[in-house]
Amino acid sequence: MNDVAIAVPTEEQVMNGPPPGNLMLEARKLDFFYGKNQALFGVDLPVERNRITALIGPSGCGKSTLLRALNRIYDLYPGQRAEGRILLDGEDILSGRGGGAREGDRRMSDAANDLARLRARVGMVFQKPTPFPMSIYDNVAFGVRLYHRKSRAEMDEIVERSLRRAALWDEVKDKLQTSGLGLSGGQQQRLCVARGIAVEPEVLLLDEPASALDPISTAKLEATLIELKQDFTIVIVTHNLQQAARLSDYTGFMYLGRMVEFSPTEELFERPGLQRTRDYVTGRFG
Amino acid sequence: MNRALRRRIVNGLFVTACSAATLLALGALALILWSLVGKGIGGLDLAVFTQDQPAPGSPGGLRNAIAGSLMMCGIAMVIAVVVGILAGTWLAEYGGRTPYGHVVRFLNDVLLSAPSILVGLFVYELLVRPFHGFSGYAGAVALAFLATPIVTRTTEDILNLQPNTLREAGMALGASRAFVIRKIIWRAAGAGLLTGGLLGFARISGETAPLLFTSLGNQFFNANMTQPTASLPTTIFQFALSAYDDWQRLAWVGALLIAAAVLTINIIGRFLARETHRS
Repeated sequence: MNDVAIAVPTEEQVMNGPPPGNLMLEARKLDFFYGKNQALFGVDLPVERNRITALIGPSGCGKSTLLRALNRIYDLYPGQRAEGRILLDGEDILSGRGGGAREGDRRMSDAANDLARLRARVGMVFQKPTPFPMSIYDNVAFGVRLYHRKSRAEMDEIVERSLRRAALWDEVKDKLQTSGLGLSGGQQQRLCVARGIAVEPEVLLLDEPASALDPISTAKLEATLIELKQDFTIVIVTHNLQQAARLSDYTGFMYLGRMVEFSPTEELFERPGLQRTRDYVTGRFG
Repeated sequence: MNRALRRRIVNGLFVTACSAATLLALGALALILWSLVGKGIGGLDLAVFTQDQPAPGSPGGLRNAIAGSLMMCGIAMVIAVVVGILAGTWLAEYGGRTPYGHVVRFLNDVLLSAPSILVGLFVYELLVRPFHGFSGYAGAVALAFLATPIVTRTTEDILNLQPNTLREAGMALGASRAFVIRKIIWRAAGAGLLTGGLLGFARISGETAPLLFTSLGNQFFNANMTQPTASLPTTIFQFALSAYDDWQRLAWVGALLIAAAVLTINIIGRFLARETHRS
């Protein structure tokens, strides 16, 4: 049986995505390079509005790379580049004015502004919680202050609403002025979610957000994400297949830098179109 | 001989050698502190801080030298912290991997181990000869040349310890690189940056050679730093070489003061550095 999986050519692909009318974000024929090493090969990713899209696949398959291309956070590192198209609400974020610019390039400050605006629209939560070394309140307010001058009362309201939506408010409402570093790992991660949604992005990218959390914190975070789906479009990278099955509406299975199969989650897990996908979701390799 | 036994013997030899080396270093430190305390503590009284240096045979203190040292080290540290933190930040966050960055880091390492007397001579040519006179400012600049590379180096090291995910998290919210460094990275590295400053301060507070050609020394109390200015190390140098018992006693007191100050600053620095790593 194992021989069958190996015999499947990597170019074989099943794309069973959402109807094209309601896409918030879309990658088309995306190649990604770390210097000379190519990490993504012609990847397509359709992300439907107000849905959770999960990316699964073995380590090194390129799912984090794909996620990091979607808000161009890779621009921080010289030598990393993406080719192809990434459409955010129909607008290509790889070409456009931000296209060839690099962070810190002063002559390209317009492009840098475009990048800042892009990242305000596409928020990101990382694998390890990254609270800033400041109070819980200031953590949440940090992104908002970048774009808007708010009165104290307005900011209080934004902070409270964001923390409530991230299901953290009840645990921190009496200690908003204490350091965010003093929270537990699970609380820190929800603080990062609150910080990300405080700027009202359209898309929220999460890179294995629960991998450093215990089961109870994970459950809380997942409940939070399902709530947030009403207002945001969510893309989540996860190693946890059950998590992808529980949470997501669509799942993409990646392997060796290619999108092998993309389908509605139930279909991908129960009736995968390819043998390789079946082997992975049933735990036979990976 | 079997493998396990050989391993035990080699291990034993190595541990013994390491312990002996540690003991040697700690022993030397203990001896220095012991003789400093033994010979200096007797002369330590209030007059040391309230009176200026005396003529041989009359009572006096080290007020002018202490004040001069504090003023020159203070100005030197302002220069060193501003230049060093900016340079270290540039190396860690912007240009550290460019060819120019490598050159800057290499030159900084050279400065780090430059003989301090050469720094003194350099500042003599730079500030003393053109202005026709020794001055406290020239002394401060010479000390700044010695402290800056230390601050630069520790700043770069401490900033490199800050996780990249923290930078990415800031950028992912749409903040500019400079904003992330100022508001997040510097803050996260705060105690470490302070440690770098303290280590630099500890290094220069005992320096004598660079001051001999620049601030020279002054037997009177002097708040005007365009004039030759006294300092603890140069006063110790002068008094220790003298033939008078009471001057030599004061030299021991001064040496004890510097050693105690440097030790305290270093301990505070280590303590702060540990706190940073923990959080």
